[in-house]
Amino acid sequence: MLHLLKIEWLKVKSYKAFWVFTILYSFSILGINYTGFYINELAVQNMPASEMLLGTPYAFPKVWQTVGFMSSWLLYFPGILFIMLFTNEFNFKTHRQNIIDGWTRKEFVTVKFVFAIIFSAVATVFNFLVALLFGLITTGSHFSFAGIENVGYIFIQTVAYITFAMFLAILFRKSGAAIAVFFLYGLIFEWLITALINFQIKLTPIGYFLPLQVTDVMLPIPFGDKVIYKGAPDPWILVVASLVYICAYYFFALKKFTNDDL
Amino acid sequence: MPVLTVENLSKSYGRIQALRNVSFQVPEGTIFGILGPNGSGKTTTLGTITDILKPTSGSYQLFDKPASAESRRKIGTLLETPNFYHYLSGVKNLEIAAEIKQHGQEDIDRVLEMVDLTRRKDSKFSTYSLGMKQRLAIASCLLGSPSVLIFDEPTNGLDPVGIAEIRELMKRLYREGKTIIMASHLLDEVEKVCTDMAILKRGELIISGKVADILANEDIVEVAASDNKKLFETLSGMRNKSKVVDENSVIKIYFPIGTANLSEVNNYCFNNGIILNHLLLKKKSLEARFLELTNN
Repeated sequence: MLHLLKIEWLKVKSYKAFWVFTILYSFSILGINYTGFYINELAVQNMPASEMLLGTPYAFPKVWQTVGFMSSWLLYFPGILFIMLFTNEFNFKTHRQNIIDGWTRKEFVTVKFVFAIIFSAVATVFNFLVALLFGLITTGSHFSFAGIENVGYIFIQTVAYITFAMFLAILFRKSGAAIAVFFLYGLIFEWLITALINFQIKLTPIGYFLPLQVTDVMLPIPFGDKVIYKGAPDPWILVVASLVYICAYYFFALKKFTNDDL
Repeated sequence: MPVLTVENLSKSYGRIQALRNVSFQVPEGTIFGILGPNGSGKTTTLGTITDILKPTSGSYQLFDKPASAESRRKIGTLLETPNFYHYLSGVKNLEIAAEIKQHGQEDIDRVLEMVDLTRRKDSKFSTYSLGMKQRLAIASCLLGSPSVLIFDEPTNGLDPVGIAEIRELMKRLYREGKTIIMASHLLDEVEKVCTDMAILKRGELIISGKVADILANEDIVEVAASDNKKLFETLSGMRNKSKVVDENSVIKIYFPIGTANLSEVNNYCFNNGIILNHLLLKKKSLEARFLELTNN
């Protein structure tokens, strides 16, 4: 596997878009959290009563969840990046050449997923550092590992978003189609479907089990989440459901890639 | 040992049948040409044996064993178009190919030199001309000096000098003892370069064998009688023929093109006291098939 990863690294190492996306993504994580942090400070300064409602989202122990929630909006960045990394292979027909040159079809798919997991792990470490930073600079906050499980949720959510994006890439083969569906589904249709299932048909919590939604519910908005995600299942159930989705994407990709003509 | 054995290979894309029960063998140490017009199934055949396409039925073997990723690593393959990462330089693309093949890393400079790309090796693949892309693909095939090479339309996109160079390269590789499997729609190319060939038309194998036999510039009449030895001696005295070859079960008489006359042969044998039990003009029908093929 290490050898496969080395080859995968050779492919992305000199890919400019990879670095542009990764750097933009990192700065955006910092930026979106700084924005949240700043607005919160401002609100509390101008209207001390608002602290009753908002709580102290950037203080320990809440900061782990807050950073996870804020950063989750940026998961479309790595999603698009991995769609491009996958559809590039189709465009350049290098998915064929890799097999011709001596990879098995399984190796081709597996190393992509493993690379996505490693990328997610690095992104999680970065989120951890950002949370640590904001937790420490918040006045009156004392370091605490309480709520650290949220960092684990960040990891699972990142893997889930990226592997969902790769699943779309292998399904549509064209980056345009995959990216469009990814955005429209994630930002609009999934919310609609969730609302429909949970509040129209009154089948709560089934609506929370949609592919991306299930990870969003894991890291809810740090205040008022009881209202927004009314009747949400226990986190461990959400974790199991997310892992089932991730495995399903992998096995679907594997099946499609091993059985089809390339 | 045959390098490649294809048995009853069929492939259909929905209702379109791209290959029908194709069987042939590629002997070691040959330049094997797969000849056919566009859409005859050449690339489908090569795509199947490199695991890019899944056959509908039939099987194939590489090096006398069921094909595997490992056997593919021992073959340098250029299929259809040069497939490389557009944003990487030529040399970086070759590094990836060598890593996947698990050999040939030390070979990169040599193969770049062979295809005359050393000067442009650090330029991005996307800036290459069509001919340069093709030459990089050939360089990638040569990594690690594989004993078998598969070239699909190798001279595509090359200028006349490039075409001559590639043909010369193939002959050189052949002299080094390598086996080359090459697809082409150019009869002329196959005739100039190949030792063996298979002809495909609309997914069916028309013939396979030695190029010299298939493209013989002569008429061949096959005859046989109960006493082939006597027949052979008798025919040796016949006029107009170029040569007579005894092939055990049948005897082949070669005539300058267009001069074979079956009734004359029959008459000659009869007058010499031999009754033929087999009389067949082979070349004519082949040529007819050939014209049919190349007229497309």
